[in-house]
Amino acid sequence: MKIKVLQHSPTDHLPARRGDPTPTSRNLDPDMHPFARARERMRALNAAKMDRMFAKPFVAALEGHIDGVEAMARRPNSLAEVASASWDGEIIVHDIARRNHVVKIDNAHKGKISGICWSPYEENRLLSCGSDMSVKIWDTANLRDGDGDVSMEAGPSKFQKQKPVAVFNGKFAFNSIDHHRHDPIFATASSLLQVWDETKTTPISNITHPTSHESISSLRFAPSEPSVLASVGSDRTFILYDIRTSTAERRTILSFRANALSWSPTFPTTVLLASEDHNLYTFDLRQLKTPTQIYKGHVSAVMSCDWSPTGTEFVSGGWDRTVRIWKEGVGKQPEIYHTKRMQRVLSTLYSSDARYVLSGSDEGNVRIWKARASDKLAVVNTREKAAMEYRDALRERWKFDDEIGKVSRSRRIPKPVHKTHLLKHTMLDARRVKEERRRKHTRAGESKPTAERKKVVIEEQS
Amino acid sequence: MDSLFAKADAIRPVAKGQHGRPGKHSIKKAKAKEDTTPSDATALSVRAHTSIPRSLQPQETSASDSTPSSSKQKFNHIKNPKLRTHLTQSSSRSSHIHSLREDASLLTDALGASSGQVECDGPLERTWRLSQEDIVKEVGAEAARGRREWVLDGGPYRSRYTRNGRHLGIVGRNGHVASFDWMAGTMHSELQLKETCRDFTYLHDHTHFAVAQKKHVFIYDQNGVELHRLASHIEPSRLEFLPYHWLLASVGNTGHLVYQDTSTGALLTSLSTRLGPTLSLTQNPHSAVLYLGHTNGTLTLWTPNLSTPAVRLQAHLGGVTSVAVDASSGSAGRYVATAGMDGFVKVWDCRNWGKCVRGWAVRSGGGGGTKGGGGIEVDFSQKGFLAVVSGGSVNVYTPPTTRSPPPNSDPSSQITVSPPLYLTHPLPHRPSTSPRFSPFHDVLTVGHAAGLSSILVPGAGNPHFDSTEADPFEGRKARREREVRGLLDKLSPEMITLDASLTPGALAPPPKQTLPGGEGKVPELPYARMTRIDRLKASGKYDETGENEDPDVEMGDAEGTDGTKQEKLKEKHKMRGKSKSTKRYLRKHRKNVIDPTTVAIRAKLEKQREERRREVDVKRGIVNEDAGRKKSALDRFKRGVK
Repeated sequence: MKIKVLQHSPTDHLPARRGDPTPTSRNLDPDMHPFARARERMRALNAAKMDRMFAKPFVAALEGHIDGVEAMARRPNSLAEVASASWDGEIIVHDIARRNHVVKIDNAHKGKISGICWSPYEENRLLSCGSDMSVKIWDTANLRDGDGDVSMEAGPSKFQKQKPVAVFNGKFAFNSIDHHRHDPIFATASSLLQVWDETKTTPISNITHPTSHESISSLRFAPSEPSVLASVGSDRTFILYDIRTSTAERRTILSFRANALSWSPTFPTTVLLASEDHNLYTFDLRQLKTPTQIYKGHVSAVMSCDWSPTGTEFVSGGWDRTVRIWKEGVGKQPEIYHTKRMQRVLSTLYSSDARYVLSGSDEGNVRIWKARASDKLAVVNTREKAAMEYRDALRERWKFDDEIGKVSRSRRIPKPVHKTHLLKHTMLDARRVKEERRRKHTRAGESKPTAERKKVVIEEQS
Repeated sequence: MDSLFAKADAIRPVAKGQHGRPGKHSIKKAKAKEDTTPSDATALSVRAHTSIPRSLQPQETSASDSTPSSSKQKFNHIKNPKLRTHLTQSSSRSSHIHSLREDASLLTDALGASSGQVECDGPLERTWRLSQEDIVKEVGAEAARGRREWVLDGGPYRSRYTRNGRHLGIVGRNGHVASFDWMAGTMHSELQLKETCRDFTYLHDHTHFAVAQKKHVFIYDQNGVELHRLASHIEPSRLEFLPYHWLLASVGNTGHLVYQDTSTGALLTSLSTRLGPTLSLTQNPHSAVLYLGHTNGTLTLWTPNLSTPAVRLQAHLGGVTSVAVDASSGSAGRYVATAGMDGFVKVWDCRNWGKCVRGWAVRSGGGGGTKGGGGIEVDFSQKGFLAVVSGGSVNVYTPPTTRSPPPNSDPSSQITVSPPLYLTHPLPHRPSTSPRFSPFHDVLTVGHAAGLSSILVPGAGNPHFDSTEADPFEGRKARREREVRGLLDKLSPEMITLDASLTPGALAPPPKQTLPGGEGKVPELPYARMTRIDRLKASGKYDETGENEDPDVEMGDAEGTDGTKQEKLKEKHKMRGKSKSTKRYLRKHRKNVIDPTTVAIRAKLEKQREERRREVDVKRGIVNEDAGRKKSALDRFKRGVK
């Protein structure tokens, strides 16, 4: 008779040397893990709670402007530098890592500065346009201090040096400016769209649509096809131009006017519009009849929007004093950021590394937020990172659980925003009920409900 | 512009007739097509000879596969859709678990220690003839470290292992308590409490343990320092600790089951069993349900959420001296063994409590009268081996025979012959108590009047432990980390239900949301979409007076002869009634405001109606003309009135 008794060999289960980690062993038999699902749910709940506990999105406020910050632009090939321009005619280049001013140009324009952009053509060049009917090009390398810092109490002698490299005068107040990707060409928006060569004092082309007398509020060059230009205007239009032919190629009339637009950095034909009707829309230019997605969440007009460099997320700032971060293709429940002192958000920007979000608001502050509210800013070691990823996976897996979903979804919203939200919903409900009643009392099949998506575009012209 | 579109088309073509995100579904479709018709020649050639582990296959395909397992079960013959869905889901879940377990066993068997066994050479060899000396001689001294005899005073002794099987705690009836690491042979603490001690249990790990003493439960730490006196546990006799809920449960002579949360110290609940002194207590580790055996032969199952037992069962004719739950892989809490004062051992299937699967009389059992020592006691090992301690010996039986009725047995009788014996060992001193298998070892410890005996039972222990659950070799840091993680993952006691024991390894699916009106009811419209009347009704503002008034209908009813005629009359009268001017006035003014004029008109109408009804009655001769009416002063002038 052969007899064998279970024997664990210590060499397999004890560390070989002093200080080594103890070897672990696994048995995947589900009966070895009682309450595995219940315990995992508890871990997911803890993960959701920890995520909300660590959600401290506000990083810093960059001061310096006296009036509302309407335009911001991140410098190409730089992680830290961001230019911002305000209504009092002042331009500041911030270093968001060190949170100081790199360049400060007082009285860059008379009156408000409405647009600012960096020139990809020539390094350190900054273009600005304003309501004083001029476009100015600044060389920030010359304006920069030796140590890269501008003290707030710089003497008047310093400002005398702050001369623009070039000045272009137009006939109307400018609303927006954008630079061509690799040519010394830039475009401005006023009551007409003008394309300028940096070497010439007059515009090389004025593009207007024959039947339109609108003022264009914003324009952007397409990143993947530099000759294509898109603009939105006061006539509720969204127009696509080609600067090679100097014509408006397509013109779309929307139900409400859009305040800002942004091209997706990863998908060539996707455009994001920030609309006056509290929504954001992504359009695929190949199908302009309907938006690909409606993003509902703001309770007032959306003033600005910007894609993350990854193209999977975007940020928007609204008249309702909140900043919201959306996932592409997910039309509801955005991340919402707000503070007590932040007023109407006029400009928003993603940082180049997609980790931070900047917002410029009415009261003259530029604020830095984390793009993910519960991100840890300090150095994260490997085990910590693994734990974070595990927690994220758990939350994702259990998000349909009532309790966990509630914890991870709920946000504290300022009371005025909440009240407006309720009011808005009452109004929308009333409108829907009215529409349903009207349909009920008309002949059957006479009127059919229109999809929300199909109400956005009124007309397409080309 | 065209070049822009061409670039976009290269990444993701625009989908035709689609409103949403272009190309999203087209990609999915393409992928699905690939799955159905693999174009790769290599994959095709390999496919016939290989397979993905079943646990990695998607669940629905594994369920629809042509495997001969229970996954093929169809429940089309069940009419009740709810039951059918439940059965389909639970069968697919169990087949998934089954495949998971097979894969796990494939993975774990390949490495680490292999389980112990006894191999017979011929058909005439009997394993029960093996004595412990034979086993020790055969396996060698190193493997036989588990074979010990502890000679101690103050017995009978009870013992308990930690969940990782490394530490052993013993308690003698007269107050001798000791906790030690039996593998390393080091003593943690030794106490002489000098009062009656009835039971011992470790808490979450070996650093804390609880002792059921004469009046209360006391908690000690690793070094034997008394930490707490739990005064709410009165005269406790048995203790049990639920490790995932951090609950210490005790039962005692008062018949109360007391749950105490050891992480917060709060008394969770104290349940009165109303069945007198409780003799035995054990837990089902898969569901955290407690099994209590009482003096009148009742077995009850308890959760902290119910004030009455979840299951109540007359298990024996005498008191239930011992209960054990089989937590091994084949059973997962399904089989329960009980032993009674009537000298029987019974194995029950928890899915059908009506009749025990196997029961047998124990030869030298029953004697239960000896002070401090009970009658028969039972315990299950991790592999489902059943140890029965009775009188002067311990017998061990192996799983498939303990769970099945013997061949050629009379199906009507509950009591049959005992299953074939695996091992037996005589104990030197009576009474003998408390058989305990050591987890992850082939060791069984039995207490008796003069100490404890540890014997070797080859094949009883699970060779593969999981370090995240219980690790006999864990170090100090790992133990600390597991303690913290255990606290973070602590389950709330509301989660303890009996149903979980029926579906081991998985929680019961959440119940589908039903409307308050019950099933089959049409879901209500949202408030905003209701009609105005419905909305007023929902908010309780609707004025329902004057809704059901239809006096003419009542009159018609009275005259009608059969049901069909009544129906016709009803409709007709309704039409006629509508045109009355007063009623029209009322209908138009059916507002939600209580208006004095409407109220007055309504009262007037009611009066008129009453008058008419009366007239009809008088005409028919049902009532006298004057009956019920107050006499007026003018009545005296009526003719014929005295």
